[in-house]
Amino acid sequence: MERLRVDWRVATVSGVVDETPSARTLVLDVDGWPGHRAGQHADVRLTAEDGYQAERSYSIASAPEDPQVSLTIERIDDGEVSPYLAGELRDGDQFELRGPIGGHFTWRAQEGGPLLLVGGGSGLVPLMAMLRHRAAAGSDARTVLLVSSRTEEDILYRAELDRLASEGDGLAVHHTLTRGTPEGWQGSDRRVDAEMLTEVGPPVADAPRIFVCGPTPFVEAVADLLVGMGHAPASIHAERFGPTGG
Amino acid sequence: MRLDGNALAGVLVEALGTEMTEAPRRCQSCGAVNPVGAHLLYQGAGWVLRCPACGDVALRVVSLSDQHVLTFAGEWRVETPR
Repeated sequence: MERLRVDWRVATVSGVVDETPSARTLVLDVDGWPGHRAGQHADVRLTAEDGYQAERSYSIASAPEDPQVSLTIERIDDGEVSPYLAGELRDGDQFELRGPIGGHFTWRAQEGGPLLLVGGGSGLVPLMAMLRHRAAAGSDARTVLLVSSRTEEDILYRAELDRLASEGDGLAVHHTLTRGTPEGWQGSDRRVDAEMLTEVGPPVADAPRIFVCGPTPFVEAVADLLVGMGHAPASIHAERFGPTGG
Repeated sequence: MRLDGNALAGVLVEALGTEMTEAPRRCQSCGAVNPVGAHLLYQGAGWVLRCPACGDVALRVVSLSDQHVLTFAGEWRVETPR
Protein backbone atom coordinates (compact mmCIF):
# COMPACT_ATOMS: atom_id res chain seq x y z
CA MET A 1 0.00 0.00 0.00
CA GLU A 2 1.40 3.34 -0.99
CA ARG A 3 1.50 5.58 1.99
CA LEU A 4 -0.50 8.75 1.80
CA ARG A 5 2.00 11.37 2.80
CA VAL A 6 0.78 14.08 5.07
CA ASP A 7 3.97 16.03 5.28
CA TRP A 8 4.74 18.93 7.52
CA ARG A 9 4.81 22.06 5.38
CA VAL A 10 5.90 25.62 6.02
CA ALA A 11 3.00 28.01 6.58
CA THR A 12 3.67 31.73 6.25
CA VAL A 13 1.32 34.23 7.82
CA SER A 14 0.08 36.64 5.17
CA GLY A 15 -2.64 38.27 7.21
CA VAL A 16 -4.32 38.28 10.60
CA VAL A 17 -7.96 39.15 11.25
CA ASP A 18 -9.21 39.82 14.77
CA GLU A 19 -12.62 38.15 14.75
CA THR A 20 -13.63 38.63 18.38
CA PRO A 21 -11.81 39.73 21.56
CA SER A 22 -10.55 36.15 21.96
CA ALA A 23 -10.35 34.74 18.44
CA ARG A 24 -8.07 35.53 15.55
CA THR A 25 -7.90 34.23 11.99
CA LEU A 26 -4.51 33.48 10.48
CA VAL A 27 -4.45 33.70 6.69
CA LEU A 28 -1.66 31.44 5.51
CA ASP A 29 0.36 30.75 2.41
CA VAL A 30 1.26 27.06 2.64
CA ASP A 31 3.99 25.61 0.43
CA GLY A 32 2.55 22.84 -1.73
CA TRP A 33 -0.86 22.79 -0.06
CA PRO A 34 -2.71 19.90 -1.79
CA GLY A 35 -6.19 21.38 -1.31
CA HIS A 36 -8.84 20.37 1.19
CA ARG A 37 -12.51 19.60 1.70
CA ALA A 38 -14.75 21.87 3.74
CA GLY A 39 -14.80 20.58 7.31
CA GLN A 40 -11.27 19.17 7.42
CA HIS A 41 -8.65 20.28 9.92
CA ALA A 42 -4.92 20.85 10.01
CA ASP A 43 -2.27 20.17 12.62
CA VAL A 44 0.03 22.96 13.72
CA ARG A 45 3.45 22.19 15.19
CA LEU A 46 5.55 24.70 17.08
CA THR A 47 9.15 23.97 17.98
CA ALA A 48 10.96 25.82 20.73
CA GLU A 49 14.67 26.63 20.61
CA ASP A 50 15.40 23.72 22.93
CA GLY A 51 13.62 21.31 20.58
CA TYR A 52 10.44 21.03 22.62
CA GLN A 53 7.47 20.57 20.32
CA ALA A 54 3.76 21.19 20.79
CA GLU A 55 1.07 20.10 18.33
CA ARG A 56 -2.54 21.20 18.08
CA SER A 57 -5.38 20.61 15.62
CA TYR A 58 -7.39 23.49 14.19
CA SER A 59 -10.31 23.44 11.79
CA ILE A 60 -9.81 25.09 8.44
CA ALA A 61 -12.08 28.11 8.03
CA SER A 62 -11.43 28.88 4.36
CA ALA A 63 -13.19 27.38 1.35
CA PRO A 64 -11.40 24.79 -0.77
CA GLU A 65 -11.64 27.33 -3.60
CA ASP A 66 -9.47 29.79 -1.65
CA PRO A 67 -5.76 29.44 -2.52
CA GLN A 68 -4.84 30.52 0.99
CA VAL A 69 -5.58 28.49 4.09
CA SER A 70 -7.27 30.24 7.00
CA LEU A 71 -7.33 28.96 10.57
CA THR A 72 -9.44 30.68 13.22
CA ILE A 73 -7.94 30.19 16.65
CA GLU A 74 -9.70 30.76 19.94
CA ARG A 75 -7.25 32.00 22.54
CA ILE A 76 -7.19 29.98 25.74
CA ASP A 77 -5.47 32.28 28.18
CA ASP A 78 -3.53 29.65 30.11
CA GLY A 79 -2.95 27.57 26.97
CA GLU A 80 0.42 26.59 25.62
CA VAL A 81 -0.07 27.25 21.91
CA SER A 82 -3.15 29.37 21.27
CA PRO A 83 -1.92 32.56 23.01
CA TYR A 84 1.04 32.54 20.63
CA LEU A 85 -0.94 31.72 17.47
CA ALA A 86 -3.85 34.02 18.28
CA GLY A 87 -1.83 36.76 19.92
CA GLU A 88 1.80 37.11 18.95
CA LEU A 89 2.13 35.92 15.35
CA ARG A 90 2.67 38.64 12.76
CA ASP A 91 2.70 38.85 8.97
CA GLY A 92 5.64 36.94 7.60
CA ASP A 93 6.02 34.66 10.62
CA GLN A 94 6.28 30.98 9.83
CA PHE A 95 5.35 27.69 11.50
CA GLU A 96 4.84 24.06 10.54
CA LEU A 97 1.47 22.76 9.41
CA ARG A 98 0.23 19.46 8.01
CA GLY A 99 -3.02 18.51 6.42
CA PRO A 100 -5.67 18.38 5.33
CA ILE A 101 -6.78 15.81 7.89
CA GLY A 102 -10.11 14.04 8.38
CA GLY A 103 -12.93 13.03 6.07
CA HIS A 104 -15.97 12.08 8.11
CA PHE A 105 -16.87 15.66 9.01
CA THR A 106 -16.83 17.10 5.49
CA TRP A 107 -19.30 18.34 2.91
CA ARG A 108 -18.94 18.84 -0.83
CA ALA A 109 -21.34 21.08 -2.73
CA GLN A 110 -22.20 18.28 -5.16
CA GLU A 111 -23.53 16.25 -2.24
CA GLY A 112 -26.35 18.80 -2.03
CA GLY A 113 -28.75 19.53 0.80
CA PRO A 114 -30.76 20.24 2.70
CA LEU A 115 -28.18 21.00 5.36
CA LEU A 116 -28.52 21.74 9.03
CA LEU A 117 -25.33 23.16 10.55
CA VAL A 118 -25.16 23.71 14.30
CA GLY A 119 -22.11 25.36 15.83
CA GLY A 120 -21.22 26.16 19.41
CA GLY A 121 -18.55 28.85 19.88
CA SER A 122 -15.50 28.13 17.75
CA GLY A 123 -17.30 25.02 16.51
CA LEU A 124 -18.55 27.41 13.86
CA VAL A 125 -15.14 27.32 12.12
CA PRO A 126 -15.49 24.13 10.00
CA LEU A 127 -19.14 25.02 9.31
CA MET A 128 -17.93 28.38 7.98
CA ALA A 129 -15.68 26.53 5.55
CA MET A 130 -18.79 24.69 4.34
CA LEU A 131 -20.73 27.94 3.89
CA ARG A 132 -17.83 29.60 2.09
CA HIS A 133 -17.52 26.53 -0.13
CA ARG A 134 -21.28 26.59 -0.75
CA ALA A 135 -21.05 30.23 -1.86
CA ALA A 136 -17.90 29.76 -3.95
CA ALA A 137 -19.38 26.74 -5.71
CA GLY A 138 -22.62 28.59 -6.45
CA SER A 139 -24.63 26.00 -4.53
CA ASP A 140 -28.22 26.80 -3.65
CA ALA A 141 -28.57 23.81 -1.32
CA ARG A 142 -31.13 24.77 1.27
CA THR A 143 -29.11 25.38 4.42
CA VAL A 144 -29.82 26.42 7.97
CA LEU A 145 -26.99 27.55 10.23
CA LEU A 146 -27.68 27.74 13.94
CA VAL A 147 -24.91 29.43 15.92
CA SER A 148 -24.68 29.43 19.68
CA SER A 149 -22.34 32.04 21.17
CA ARG A 150 -21.83 33.30 24.69
CA THR A 151 -22.31 37.00 24.01
CA GLU A 152 -22.81 39.13 20.93
CA GLU A 153 -19.15 40.12 20.79
CA ASP A 154 -18.15 36.43 20.76
CA ILE A 155 -19.94 35.75 17.47
CA LEU A 156 -17.42 34.75 14.80
CA TYR A 157 -17.72 36.02 11.21
CA ARG A 158 -20.81 38.07 12.07
CA ALA A 159 -20.70 40.49 9.13
CA GLU A 160 -19.90 37.79 6.60
CA LEU A 161 -22.72 35.59 7.90
CA ASP A 162 -25.14 38.53 7.58
CA ARG A 163 -23.98 39.09 4.03
CA LEU A 164 -24.22 35.41 3.04
CA ALA A 165 -27.70 35.13 4.56
CA SER A 166 -28.88 38.16 2.58
CA GLU A 167 -27.96 36.62 -0.78
CA GLY A 168 -31.36 34.96 -1.06
CA ASP A 169 -29.87 31.67 -2.24
CA GLY A 170 -31.41 29.40 0.35
CA LEU A 171 -29.23 30.08 3.40
CA ALA A 172 -30.81 31.03 6.72
CA VAL A 173 -28.68 31.98 9.75
CA HIS A 174 -30.04 31.97 13.28
CA HIS A 175 -28.08 33.14 16.34
CA THR A 176 -28.60 32.33 19.96
CA LEU A 177 -26.73 33.89 22.90
CA THR A 178 -26.33 32.02 26.15
CA ARG A 179 -24.89 34.70 28.44
CA GLY A 180 -27.03 37.75 27.94
CA THR A 181 -28.41 39.64 24.98
CA PRO A 182 -28.04 43.26 23.93
CA GLU A 183 -31.00 45.55 23.60
CA GLY A 184 -33.01 44.92 20.46
CA TRP A 185 -31.52 41.44 19.96
CA GLN A 186 -33.40 39.58 17.24
CA GLY A 187 -32.12 36.06 17.85
CA SER A 188 -32.66 33.55 20.65
CA ASP A 189 -31.43 33.99 24.21
CA ARG A 190 -30.93 30.46 25.54
CA ARG A 191 -29.06 27.22 24.99
CA VAL A 192 -30.07 25.24 21.93
CA ASP A 193 -33.16 23.18 22.71
CA ALA A 194 -35.66 21.04 20.81
CA GLU A 195 -38.05 23.93 20.36
CA MET A 196 -35.33 26.04 18.74
CA LEU A 197 -34.21 23.22 16.47
CA THR A 198 -37.81 22.60 15.41
CA GLU A 199 -38.44 26.29 14.81
CA VAL A 200 -35.37 27.12 12.75
CA GLY A 201 -34.28 23.74 11.35
CA PRO A 202 -35.56 21.83 8.33
CA PRO A 203 -38.35 19.32 9.00
CA VAL A 204 -37.27 15.81 9.94
CA ALA A 205 -39.15 14.56 6.85
CA ASP A 206 -36.69 16.47 4.63
CA ALA A 207 -33.90 14.21 5.92
CA PRO A 208 -31.24 16.95 6.15
CA ARG A 209 -27.54 16.18 6.35
CA ILE A 210 -26.57 17.49 9.77
CA PHE A 211 -23.21 18.76 11.03
CA VAL A 212 -22.75 19.64 14.69
CA CYS A 213 -19.50 21.03 16.03
CA GLY A 214 -18.44 22.56 19.32
CA PRO A 215 -17.36 21.59 22.81
CA THR A 216 -18.21 17.98 23.73
CA PRO A 217 -21.16 18.80 26.06
CA PHE A 218 -22.69 21.08 23.41
CA VAL A 219 -22.31 18.53 20.61
CA GLU A 220 -23.69 15.66 22.65
CA ALA A 221 -26.67 17.68 23.90
CA VAL A 222 -27.56 18.82 20.38
CA ALA A 223 -27.06 15.36 18.85
CA ASP A 224 -29.30 13.83 21.53
CA LEU A 225 -31.98 16.43 20.84
CA LEU A 226 -31.83 15.76 17.10
CA VAL A 227 -32.11 12.00 17.57
CA GLY A 228 -35.00 12.59 19.96
CA MET A 229 -36.74 14.65 17.27
CA GLY A 230 -36.50 11.71 14.89
CA HIS A 231 -33.45 12.58 12.78
CA ALA A 232 -31.55 9.49 11.65
CA PRO A 233 -28.40 9.05 13.74
CA ALA A 234 -26.42 8.30 10.57
CA SER A 235 -27.37 11.71 9.15
CA ILE A 236 -25.77 13.48 12.12
CA HIS A 237 -22.07 14.20 11.75
CA ALA A 238 -20.56 15.37 15.00
CA GLU A 239 -17.15 16.83 15.77
CA ARG A 240 -16.22 17.42 19.38
CA PHE A 241 -13.71 20.06 20.40
CA GLY A 242 -12.06 19.16 23.66
CA PRO A 243 -9.67 20.70 26.12
CA THR A 244 -6.42 20.14 24.27
CA GLY A 245 -4.26 22.24 26.50
CA GLY A 246 -4.90 25.23 24.24
CA MET B 1 -13.66 14.55 28.49
CA ARG B 2 -14.35 12.42 25.46
CA LEU B 3 -13.84 13.43 21.87
CA ASP B 4 -14.61 11.48 18.69
CA GLY B 5 -12.73 9.58 16.03
CA ASN B 6 -12.22 12.74 13.99
CA ALA B 7 -9.59 13.79 16.51
CA LEU B 8 -7.62 10.62 15.78
CA ALA B 9 -7.47 11.28 12.03
CA GLY B 10 -3.95 12.72 12.13
CA VAL B 11 -2.49 9.81 14.10
CA LEU B 12 -4.24 7.28 11.86
CA VAL B 13 -2.98 8.84 8.65
CA GLU B 14 0.51 9.01 10.13
CA ALA B 15 0.42 5.37 11.20
CA LEU B 16 -1.51 3.81 8.34
CA GLY B 17 -0.96 6.16 5.43
CA THR B 18 -4.63 6.62 4.63
CA GLU B 19 -7.65 8.61 5.73
CA MET B 20 -9.59 6.42 8.16
CA THR B 21 -12.42 8.49 9.65
CA GLU B 22 -14.87 7.65 6.87
CA ALA B 23 -14.15 3.91 7.14
CA PRO B 24 -17.12 1.93 8.47
CA ARG B 25 -16.36 -0.36 11.39
CA ARG B 26 -18.55 -3.21 12.63
CA CYS B 27 -18.42 -3.73 16.38
CA GLN B 28 -17.37 -7.18 17.55
CA SER B 29 -19.76 -6.95 20.51
CA CYS B 30 -23.01 -5.38 19.33
CA GLY B 31 -22.68 -5.54 15.55
CA ALA B 32 -23.38 -1.83 15.05
CA VAL B 33 -21.68 -0.32 12.01
CA ASN B 34 -20.45 3.24 12.35
CA PRO B 35 -17.80 5.36 10.63
CA VAL B 36 -14.57 5.61 12.61
CA GLY B 37 -15.16 9.37 12.89
CA ALA B 38 -18.43 8.72 14.72
CA HIS B 39 -16.75 6.55 17.38
CA LEU B 40 -16.03 7.95 20.82
CA LEU B 41 -12.46 8.75 21.79
CA TYR B 42 -10.99 8.76 25.29
CA GLN B 43 -7.52 9.94 26.23
CA GLY B 44 -5.49 8.51 29.04
CA ALA B 45 -1.89 7.40 28.75
CA GLY B 46 -2.87 6.67 25.15
CA TRP B 47 -6.04 6.84 23.10
CA VAL B 48 -8.97 4.43 23.35
CA LEU B 49 -11.60 4.49 20.62
CA ARG B 50 -14.96 2.97 21.52
CA CYS B 51 -18.13 1.88 19.72
CA PRO B 52 -20.71 4.68 19.95
CA ALA B 53 -23.49 2.10 20.34
CA CYS B 54 -22.19 -0.18 23.11
CA GLY B 55 -18.91 1.33 24.28
CA ASP B 56 -16.74 -1.70 23.61
CA VAL B 57 -13.16 -1.04 22.55
CA ALA B 58 -12.53 -0.48 18.85
CA LEU B 59 -8.89 0.61 18.90
CA ARG B 60 -6.13 1.34 21.34
CA VAL B 61 -3.32 3.68 20.32
CA VAL B 62 -0.09 4.21 22.20
CA SER B 63 2.26 6.75 20.67
CA LEU B 64 5.88 6.33 21.69
CA SER B 65 8.79 8.53 20.70
CA ASP B 66 9.63 6.44 17.65
CA GLN B 67 6.44 4.53 16.81
CA HIS B 68 2.68 4.27 17.10
CA VAL B 69 1.28 0.99 18.44
CA LEU B 70 -2.28 0.26 17.32
CA THR B 71 -4.46 -2.62 18.52
CA PHE B 72 -7.66 -3.08 16.53
CA ALA B 73 -10.93 -4.82 17.39
CA GLY B 74 -13.98 -5.50 15.26
CA GLU B 75 -14.22 -5.37 11.49
CA TRP B 76 -12.80 -2.34 9.73
CA ARG B 77 -13.49 -1.79 6.05
CA VAL B 78 -11.03 0.52 4.35
CA GLU B 79 -11.20 1.54 0.71
CA THR B 80 -8.13 3.30 -0.65
CA PRO B 81 -7.22 4.57 -4.10
CA ARG B 82 -4.77 2.30 -5.97
